[in-house]
Amino acid sequence: MQWKRITAVAATVMLAAVACGSPSSNSGNNSGSQGDLGGAQEKATDATAKGPAADVDGAKKGGTVTVLSDVTPDTFDPTNIYYTDGNQIGKLMYRALTQYRLDGDKHKPVLVPDLAEDLGTKSADGLSWTFKLKKNLKYMDGTPIKAADFAYAIKRSFAHDLYDAGPTYQLQFFKDGDKYKGPYGPNGANYSGVETPDDSTLVIHLAKKFDDLPYYAAFPMFTPIPQAKDTQKNYEQRPMTTGPYKVDSYVPGTELKLSKNPNWDPATDPVRHQYPDAWDFKFAQDTIKAQRQVLASSGPDANSLNYSNLDVSLLPEVKDPSQLVKGDSPCTITYTMDSRRIPLEVRRLIAKAYPYDSWRKVAGLTPADAIPASTILPPAVPGFEKFELPGMNGTGKGAEDDAVAQEVKSELAKLGKSNFELQWYFSIDDKISTQVSQLRQQVFEKAGFKVKPIGVPKAKIRTFTGNQDAPVNIGKTPTGWCSDWPSGTSWFPVLFKSDAIALGNSIGQLQDKALDAKIDAVADKDPNEQLKEWSKIDKDVLENYLPAIPLYYSATNSPIGKNIGHAINDPTQGLPEFTSIYLKQP
Amino acid sequence: MTIGSPDSTVGIEDHPASAEPVRTSAMPHGKSPSRIAFDRLRKDRIALICACVVLFFVLIAVFAPVLANIEGQDYNVFHTDLVDEYGFPTIVANAQHWLGVEPKTGRDNFARWVYGARPSLIIAFLATVFGTIVGVVMGLLAGFLGGWTDRVISWIIDFVLSLPYLLFAIALVPIVESMRGGSFNLSPQDQAEIRFGVLIFVLSFFGWAGLARIIRGEVLSLREREFVLAAKAIGVPTHRVLFKELLPNLVAPIVISASLSLPAYVTAEAGLSFLGVGLVEPIPSWGQTIAVATNWFKADPLYLWLPVIGITALVLALALLGDAIRDAFDPKTRR
Repeated sequence: MQWKRITAVAATVMLAAVACGSPSSNSGNNSGSQGDLGGAQEKATDATAKGPAADVDGAKKGGTVTVLSDVTPDTFDPTNIYYTDGNQIGKLMYRALTQYRLDGDKHKPVLVPDLAEDLGTKSADGLSWTFKLKKNLKYMDGTPIKAADFAYAIKRSFAHDLYDAGPTYQLQFFKDGDKYKGPYGPNGANYSGVETPDDSTLVIHLAKKFDDLPYYAAFPMFTPIPQAKDTQKNYEQRPMTTGPYKVDSYVPGTELKLSKNPNWDPATDPVRHQYPDAWDFKFAQDTIKAQRQVLASSGPDANSLNYSNLDVSLLPEVKDPSQLVKGDSPCTITYTMDSRRIPLEVRRLIAKAYPYDSWRKVAGLTPADAIPASTILPPAVPGFEKFELPGMNGTGKGAEDDAVAQEVKSELAKLGKSNFELQWYFSIDDKISTQVSQLRQQVFEKAGFKVKPIGVPKAKIRTFTGNQDAPVNIGKTPTGWCSDWPSGTSWFPVLFKSDAIALGNSIGQLQDKALDAKIDAVADKDPNEQLKEWSKIDKDVLENYLPAIPLYYSATNSPIGKNIGHAINDPTQGLPEFTSIYLKQP
Repeated sequence: MTIGSPDSTVGIEDHPASAEPVRTSAMPHGKSPSRIAFDRLRKDRIALICACVVLFFVLIAVFAPVLANIEGQDYNVFHTDLVDEYGFPTIVANAQHWLGVEPKTGRDNFARWVYGARPSLIIAFLATVFGTIVGVVMGLLAGFLGGWTDRVISWIIDFVLSLPYLLFAIALVPIVESMRGGSFNLSPQDQAEIRFGVLIFVLSFFGWAGLARIIRGEVLSLREREFVLAAKAIGVPTHRVLFKELLPNLVAPIVISASLSLPAYVTAEAGLSFLGVGLVEPIPSWGQTIAVATNWFKADPLYLWLPVIGITALVLALALLGDAIRDAFDPKTRR
């Protein structure tokens, strides 16, 4: 499967720019962002959920919420949205076939039908899915939503050269996905992968089994788009919205203004609310300045929020802890080692020498947004079971400790690998990256390794680290991973099988037939049986292959203004949940 | 009766009717303009204080390793045990770390500060020396020779002044790196040193043109003066005319220009490093520290104040000293 990889370069993680949309059963530990990890939960669905969504206690209507964002989503075209922030903002505008409802005090995500009546019905061979659609729904201009609009939106997603940032599962799993090039070509209207037998039924035909399709159907890509209104690249300027808000104006890269959609029917929507009158997104703000404004909450800034993780230097300015939205996000960050170039015994010594504690400080990570990791699978993914291999829990001094340094040195000598050379890329014009590189260099040299850090411009580093055959043996991407939905299938088959190298997704470039077979055996099982098995694979990979050292699980820690009510973390995205926010004093 | 040699004892003082003006005893005759200016400078208290400040920074830069040794710290060693898990220093200042440690990395502030004085001063002095030499030679040649030499040099001056210097500084780094074998064959220290060299080159390359213009103008007016014409008439070679006759008359503009460009280069280095196109780690520099420390100014003010005070004091001292030198050489501008 094609999985959008995390955009992290070693230490500098902008979570708001991570593409993933997993419903990831939250471990239920919103208060425990201090490294306290709960157990995993089963993936949860509720096929019979009905609107309207239960009211938030004390919620008031009215007012304008301002979002001061330092990151800039590149698109709001429903077909092209893939990044988490685009998904979250898109939720205000676009309804898809399914959606996640955050249940209970722990905000556990549950997959519920949105524009569909149910979560889809699978045919006997698993190659056709039928979605019943809700009737009498309207776009924001009052025109009715037709089944053909869903079919058209799906066809539109195949024009991937035009919407190149969007998710791509349909190209791999839908019928003729590899041949069909979207509705704009000469033969564009003819696509046999979607059918609309009547005006309230949508049938999707697959090329191969894809049991996670109902989860995939929660992406904004599955919102209806009327063919007559499709202006291709300009559609995001005047999209036909179905959610509680419509687009007033959009200046790409600068500002997005939303106002109430009068034709949104709350009775049909089991997830969303429409408390504020309007939303004003201001992009490309200075991080520190925007977050300081939000924290200070003076005047109109009390109605504002910022969805990036709080810059650590602003911690002393947090007077009221409730001004921080905390919670899990479905990502793990690792230190990857190319298994083709570093022998297993040496990889284990690297793990022993790694200066976890110092690295975390120099990289600017805090216990609030980076929880030390001991597994590949993050707690947010069902099937997670906490285990710790000796010496690998994401903490410790590593070879900064003289005794450890001596031990690693002598073991290297015993292996005949004294002065084994470690090479990695770092961004020469990024201060954190250069400092982290210096720290690693000092510690690894102390432990008897030879090191060769290679400085490359920040703008180009992903090209270098993304090359699976790059002439370095440390830190090839993906160095971090987020799940698109809650299953080990979004992790192990994608990251650790031999064919992952060709897809450019391999962590550690493992090429082991036995491991491939083990992963395949689990992936072929029933989804519920898989849950127990993935953790065993996880342990097996770390114990016997060690393609990467788990460093930390990412977490949300973003600032909100004093007047913002019901700001909760959405664990499927690792961002504040927008559709239930209200203003305490509108 | 013989015709004796002229009476050598007959001094100017004995001939009140001579062309030379009467001098007071405080200003004995034979003093060169430079000497007069230097005397004036010595009486200027502000100039003296500024000179001391500059000397202080020069000594700090020269003896940076010694000072760091006395403190017992290295500017490049991480002390992450001295910052808490959020990156904030747990100490303010103590006997081991006289001015505390950096947030996040825990590197020693004092050692980084004294080492940070080095790039500022080295770059400023080298760029000034290079820019002054090239500027003076080009200006002399253009002004004195005239004709097509003048036209070519003037054209080059205009060309250099029209180049965008910030873009030049950014673009030159990868070019020089690829000439040195590409970033793949260079260690981080090499890459940092390349940027150091590029910075000196860029600043001096863009610094000489302005001075060359001033010198050319001065020479144009000087070369028609009697003493130059006389020298030419008796067949003094061109290089002697240039360096023995013209140059001494140009000392004032040269010294003024050099003393005013020093502080400009210090700020330019800090500014470029702040913007991320100047020096990079692992070479410590004040500009880089300021860039990081601005985010921390509420949490850890000392971290920001150290490099800010360093740059401000150094630039202010250099600028005031430059002003004083100009006043000394050119009394007409005395306030």
